[in-house]
Amino acid sequence: MNRFKLASLAVLSALVAAPTFAAGFPEKPITIIVPFPPGGASDTTARSVAPKLQEALGQPVVVENRPGANGSTGAAIVKEAAPDGYTLLVGSIGVFAINAALFPDLPYSPSKDLDLLTVFVRTPNVLVANPEFPANTVQELVDYLKKNPNKVTFASSGNGSSDHLTAALFWQKTGTSGVHVPYKGGGPAIADLIGGHANVSFQNLGAVTGHIKAGKLKVLAVTADERNPVFPDTPTLKEAGVDGVTVYSWQAAGAPKGLPADVKAKLAEGLASGAKDAQVSARFEEMGFEVVANTPEEFAKFQAEEEARWRQVVKDGNITAN
Amino acid sequence: MDSLLGIILGFETVLTGPNLLYCFVGVVLGTAIGVLPGLGPTATIAVLLPITFGLDPVSALIMLAGIFYGAQYGGSTTSILVNLPGESSSVVTAIDGYQMARQGRAGKALATAAVGSFIAGTIATFLLALFAPPLANLAIGFGPTEYFSLMILGLVASIVLASGSLLHAGGAILLGLLLGLVGADVNSGVFRYTFGFLGLMDGIAFVVVAMGVFGIGEIISNLEVERTRATDVKKVHGLMLSREDFKRILPPIFRGTLLGSALGILPGGGAMLASFGAYSLEKKMSPNAAEFGKGAIEGVAAPEAANNAGAQTSFIPMLTLGIPSNPVMAMMIGALMIQGIQPGPLVMTQQPQLFWGIIASMWIGNLFLLVLNLPLIGLWVRMISVPYHFLYPAILAFCAIGVFSLNNSTFDLWLLIAFGAFGYISRKLSIEPAPMMLAFILGPMMEEYLRRALLISGGDPMTFVNRPASAVMLVFSISLLVLVLAPSLRRKRDVAFEEDVA
Repeated sequence: MNRFKLASLAVLSALVAAPTFAAGFPEKPITIIVPFPPGGASDTTARSVAPKLQEALGQPVVVENRPGANGSTGAAIVKEAAPDGYTLLVGSIGVFAINAALFPDLPYSPSKDLDLLTVFVRTPNVLVANPEFPANTVQELVDYLKKNPNKVTFASSGNGSSDHLTAALFWQKTGTSGVHVPYKGGGPAIADLIGGHANVSFQNLGAVTGHIKAGKLKVLAVTADERNPVFPDTPTLKEAGVDGVTVYSWQAAGAPKGLPADVKAKLAEGLASGAKDAQVSARFEEMGFEVVANTPEEFAKFQAEEEARWRQVVKDGNITAN
Repeated sequence: MDSLLGIILGFETVLTGPNLLYCFVGVVLGTAIGVLPGLGPTATIAVLLPITFGLDPVSALIMLAGIFYGAQYGGSTTSILVNLPGESSSVVTAIDGYQMARQGRAGKALATAAVGSFIAGTIATFLLALFAPPLANLAIGFGPTEYFSLMILGLVASIVLASGSLLHAGGAILLGLLLGLVGADVNSGVFRYTFGFLGLMDGIAFVVVAMGVFGIGEIISNLEVERTRATDVKKVHGLMLSREDFKRILPPIFRGTLLGSALGILPGGGAMLASFGAYSLEKKMSPNAAEFGKGAIEGVAAPEAANNAGAQTSFIPMLTLGIPSNPVMAMMIGALMIQGIQPGPLVMTQQPQLFWGIIASMWIGNLFLLVLNLPLIGLWVRMISVPYHFLYPAILAFCAIGVFSLNNSTFDLWLLIAFGAFGYISRKLSIEPAPMMLAFILGPMMEEYLRRALLISGGDPMTFVNRPASAVMLVFSISLLVLVLAPSLRRKRDVAFEEDVA
């Protein structure tokens, strides 16, 4: 009797302790929620890393697209999921930083509701213009903008996208102004730039490399810390005399807040080394991405900086997206 | 010159073993998902995308392209058989196609769709091979101003779609425009008519409205009638097309192909207008205009030819400029980037095998589709003689699967139910679904282009008149409107006059 009680107590305590005791993690398939439609940068990143995570952890890793509301729908689903490591989120700078700065009633907070695991990759934006646009350098563009305030059209891939906010930041730092023209995604924005219907844009490097090489667009600057090997003759914005507009778009992973420490470590390690895998990183480089693969601590610090920075840009630029 | 060498290179590329196989796999998959209501090429390609990582880029693109135009072929099947358009391009096919099926002429309707698609696909492929680069440069000249005027023209043409009273058609168009407003505004990001639902922030999906209004609305009203639908459908006769049929469908097929090829080139949504435009054109031009809406074979031939031609030529901006004209093309560009190929004008010169291989694969794919689809007609036709109480639960299940697969969200299923009820009510009130659907598709695009054009012009509305292409389309719209309204006004006066006499 006593022994039975003891035994059942032991079983019970084992059951209670199960969620925090995770030596056996993972014991079932892991789902990665991508809060955007298939085929985009977040989706491609997740689907590239997923097989490597699967190899490392020995359980199937499934990618599920839950698009909607700039990624908020999927992020909110992850927030509500159990913090057991079986539901992950792979999203962009928008999901992890800009949305929080932009939407006052966002259904999740990236820092308060999510455990931040790793930043997989980043890609600089490039400042491109239609070849017939009069300015050929950043300085010429700044002069032109000053002479023609609120005339030059800046195409972006959407309201609150990283290219929209980069343009706003550029205006703030150079004391200039322009007309923001939002599109539904980068594709149509680039099409109108090539057609000369819009003048300038900050676009992700990989999306415009082919057009720049073909002479359909001209590149004025990169928004990175250093010059890009693809366009070694193109200056960074800083070199061109515009300070404080270093902007990368990035893709990262998170999970519901409150993961057991060992699960968090295991996942962060598995995801980061997945991105660093030779085959995966080669694919990323072909797409114009740089592998970051940092630690949860580094990501948390970086996320706080990014969110604060974009909050300031949104405030100074009086930008609203609702 | 190079085109001929290119085509030879293309056929060499496709006819090597694995590429031919991938082309076949693509079109078979495309047909299958096209036939299943609600499952579109976008979702399928998304699922298959990771598989293509390991393939040769040419094989990958040949297969993905096959899925895309294969789905255009298959999409007409459910429109004709059960009045369920799974793609915006097959909405108008349902109008006369479904009536033909009810009269026992489903086989002819399906054969018309297959033959029309094949002819259109062949012509469009050769247009693509011969004129792709110059056409692409023409397309890029289309800016927001021109697109807005094109959409106006499309909307005016939608009035022609209506077969009943003009007042009802006008009301249906306004209703469609209103439904299209739901969601976050592209320009300001403001949420409209979302009532706090996260699921409405991106607007209402086309598939949800189409499945609800056409599919579920149709099922409810069929169930209302106590007799089974099997007795309602007249006995199936004449699977194959007669010489007389060919005489009737060939001119509409050629006109539809021309219109579809031209609209398909425009990356900003021209292809969507192709089938609507072709139907409206035929309704105005056909000697059998009175039959439209009651099972006119021309009403199937023209839009099917147009949408297949448009599907082929919509590859032009993608292949020659790296500009995606729809979500499927965007995914193909994604697939190329993963393979390390930068989308852009250089693809043509640096990867001639890829460019010409895809073009050649399209013609071969179209041939596969014809051979595949003609024998299937007999099978499909037998499907409608399945007792309705077996058929409709299956249709409902497929609708639900299709809608769920859009965003993996149950919210869309609730919306589907709501639109099913709405579809039934609108049937009772004889609100015609086709003009409403066109307005629903065009409304948000029109607004987007209007506001973008005004942003770019600095708020000057004269931009629509000053740009020649835009001005021409606006003039067309006005004349079309006059053309449509004049006879009906006259008729109304005649009616009034007759009443006076009585």
